[in-house]
Amino acid sequence: MRGTWAVLVACSLLAACNAAVSDTADGAQSGDGTETIALGEFPDRPYWGDTHLHTDISVDAFGFGVRLGPEDALKFARGEEVTATTGMKAQLARPLDFLVISDHSDAMGATRRLYDAPRMLVRDPTLRRWRDMMHVSPDQSTRAVAELITAAANDEIPEALRDPERQGKATRDLWDKHLALLDRYNQPGTFTAFAGFEWSLMPDGNNLHRVVMFRDGSAKTGTVVPFPGIDTKVEQLWDYMDAYEAETGGKVLAIPHNSNLSNGMMFDLVGPDGGPMTAEYARRRAAREPVVEATQIKGDSETHPLLSPNDEFAGFGVAGWDLGNLPLTHKTTPGMLPGSYIRSALLRGLTLEQQLGVNPYAFGLIGSTDSHTALATGDEDNFFGKHTNNEPKAERAMAPQNLGTRVGRFGWHYLAGGYAAAWARGNTRAEIFDAFMRRETYATTGPRMVLRLFAGFDFEANEWEGDWVRAGYTRGVPMGGELEDGGKAPVFLISALKDPDGANLDRVQVIKGWVDANGEAQERVYDVAWSDMDGKRARVGGKIPPVGDTVDRAEASYENSIGAAELRATWTDPDYRAGQRAFYYVRVLEIPTPRWTLFDAKRFGITLSPEALADGVAQERAYSSPVWLRPKARKQVGDAPMIMGKT
Amino acid sequence: MIRSWLREPLVHFLLAGAAIYAALGWWGNPVDPADRTIAITRERQAGIALGFERIMGRPPTDAEMDGLIDRWVREEVLYREALRLGLDEDDAVVRRRLATKMDELATASAETATVSEETLEQWLAAHPERFAGGGALSFDQAWFAGEDTARRALATPNPRGNPISLPRSVARMPTSEVRETFGQQFVQELAVLQPVERWQGPVPSGFGWHLVRLRERTPGKVPPLGEIRDLVEADWRNATIAERRERAYEVLREAYRVERE
Repeated sequence: MRGTWAVLVACSLLAACNAAVSDTADGAQSGDGTETIALGEFPDRPYWGDTHLHTDISVDAFGFGVRLGPEDALKFARGEEVTATTGMKAQLARPLDFLVISDHSDAMGATRRLYDAPRMLVRDPTLRRWRDMMHVSPDQSTRAVAELITAAANDEIPEALRDPERQGKATRDLWDKHLALLDRYNQPGTFTAFAGFEWSLMPDGNNLHRVVMFRDGSAKTGTVVPFPGIDTKVEQLWDYMDAYEAETGGKVLAIPHNSNLSNGMMFDLVGPDGGPMTAEYARRRAAREPVVEATQIKGDSETHPLLSPNDEFAGFGVAGWDLGNLPLTHKTTPGMLPGSYIRSALLRGLTLEQQLGVNPYAFGLIGSTDSHTALATGDEDNFFGKHTNNEPKAERAMAPQNLGTRVGRFGWHYLAGGYAAAWARGNTRAEIFDAFMRRETYATTGPRMVLRLFAGFDFEANEWEGDWVRAGYTRGVPMGGELEDGGKAPVFLISALKDPDGANLDRVQVIKGWVDANGEAQERVYDVAWSDMDGKRARVGGKIPPVGDTVDRAEASYENSIGAAELRATWTDPDYRAGQRAFYYVRVLEIPTPRWTLFDAKRFGITLSPEALADGVAQERAYSSPVWLRPKARKQVGDAPMIMGKT
Repeated sequence: MIRSWLREPLVHFLLAGAAIYAALGWWGNPVDPADRTIAITRERQAGIALGFERIMGRPPTDAEMDGLIDRWVREEVLYREALRLGLDEDDAVVRRRLATKMDELATASAETATVSEETLEQWLAAHPERFAGGGALSFDQAWFAGEDTARRALATPNPRGNPISLPRSVARMPTSEVRETFGQQFVQELAVLQPVERWQGPVPSGFGWHLVRLRERTPGKVPPLGEIRDLVEADWRNATIAERRERAYEVLREAYRVERE
């Protein structure tokens, strides 16, 4: 035993010596990628990524059982085969172009350390119990984390885990190592590894989480450590981001997610303290949070059937998630919904802009996974679960979920996860980050359809015969852009190309939101292109016949015998009114395909409940970032309330 | 040369061993759990007194010294009993921590070491397949929603196809990008086509049917080190870390005979 400790001493001495002679090379991989590769004139393709992935340094993911770390996550994302925690080989059918590893900043690495700690050194009785549970079995481990999340939601985290001083040194070491790893895997032109973390504020269990994403390499990101979510406010997160940029000259953004689990708090009409929202808050929020994660494993946040009763496709990924907040400690009431979903938030943004002169909710859209397995899987036939305890196995589809002890959420409520698409001129940190900043991004629920959207005033129906992409960029704005009202209806060039390895397309829709003459927020869904639109699916009484359904439930298969390879439209807003404040985004629907639950049922020979079976087929989709139409005469901030009545 | 020696994991292990022996020499001989005699030598007493003085800033009184020795004896008795029970051998946590520590010891230098051009040149030459890429394709294509229309168009000199947002003509597009743009099936089909100056097909893809004029198939080529230095260095570093971990383990492993019942 004495010899053992001597080895430890000797080891740490040697490790210290090694660290002292470090001289990491500062090459193209460790910066933001500027001038490392040739760039096109315009963004020429969407780059695919996941901005929301957890590994074994996340306090909950480790507790859920994951034993794969950031390096496995990077290898997997760039297309290599890895062995999942539960022993299965895992590989993506297609590599991703970029990845943000976003482990929780709170107690980063702490469960791993707690697990490894000698029991006698863990004095806090709660921590000691969690440590023991983690050692007993994966189920117990998962239960320990559920308790931890509930404790976080109730503000009852043990002092030892929340004290930044005590966690400080451990975090510093871990973060420095992590950043060096990211630089090693960052390959401009081929694969981009972003530094990031998740800031996990959750007052009363209401999810206000943000993923924080850096544009820079370790020289800059190494000057900070991840900012804790517990006991902080969102303004403090923005302060942290401001300070980082001021000190390093680098750039950083934040991505809100799971507004669907926020019980109306994510997109509130009031400020975070419950008082009226200030113009300063709105300005900072818009500047710091240019995109929002619209869809992920824990449900889809585009809209809710109660908010959009005239939208027949509004129910995707809502079931189960709309019961309550993240840990299901508080139920969701209908009055909370507008603050929880993206379409209503975009509408609120227009109204708030009228009042404040700034739109706090003028955000673009992305999708991601929020996987806690270190595996960024987004395909229905390759779903590795929300966390390690529901990696592929027979029970997972029908099992009650770990989060929340009340009934109501089951495995089949999980979506297989989404991805983020960024229109960029090349695959570097700078190019993709900048695409996020200008909101030239879109969300998908997993498939990789190629979606273009341009808005202008003089596009013609025959633009498609020429170089329409150049026309789009030179005579209009791409998705995420803004148009100033020119006194005539905006015209949109929309092209949706199917995923080359996926399902055909059913239809392309434009979703318009606006504030009417009475100051009321309105929304409307326009079908602008669909398969067989001149043939057997011609409009009947204003409605389009359904595309059909080729899914074989038992075989978890479908046929591309319906739908279209590409849908295009030159669309002019038929309901344009001069001076109207509006947004327009595009939704693309695939033909119906089997969800992961049907693949599971076939693979494991299980029987799904009638509810789960009915939910086993879905129309996967993409959401573009909106384009905004703004009134021409924009007054100064102080004058804004004056013009309200005229609009 | 000496610097590179210093980076060798084996050297680290030898140094660690030397440090252990030095430490043990200073602390006294290893405990034999079977030994029932606890000797409080003068050196031990001096060590105990010194420890007290460091904390309290003065030497212990005689009464305090008796108390300290009693406490030390108590620890030693329980410690030896613990060894007798084999508690040190079956502590999974201690085992794992030490194993991890040894792994880190073997790889810490590789994570930060400066690497010479020569080493990278050798690395590139030894692993061309990792940097060659999958080659590139140059072709023209026309897309058709239906197989029949595609087949009929094959008879025309310059088939136009139906409109779709796919490139009509690509020059030396990396195969990985062709796959991303046109899909898995298309790339597989093209792999068996001969590059000739005429239209071939129809070739199926996830989009429908294509007539293809495959101009050139460019094999994967290894770029010079100057163009991909960072990539090679990162690959060298990742591989070296893994390799050192394994090599360091093997050196130690060789000294053991594992008998499994």
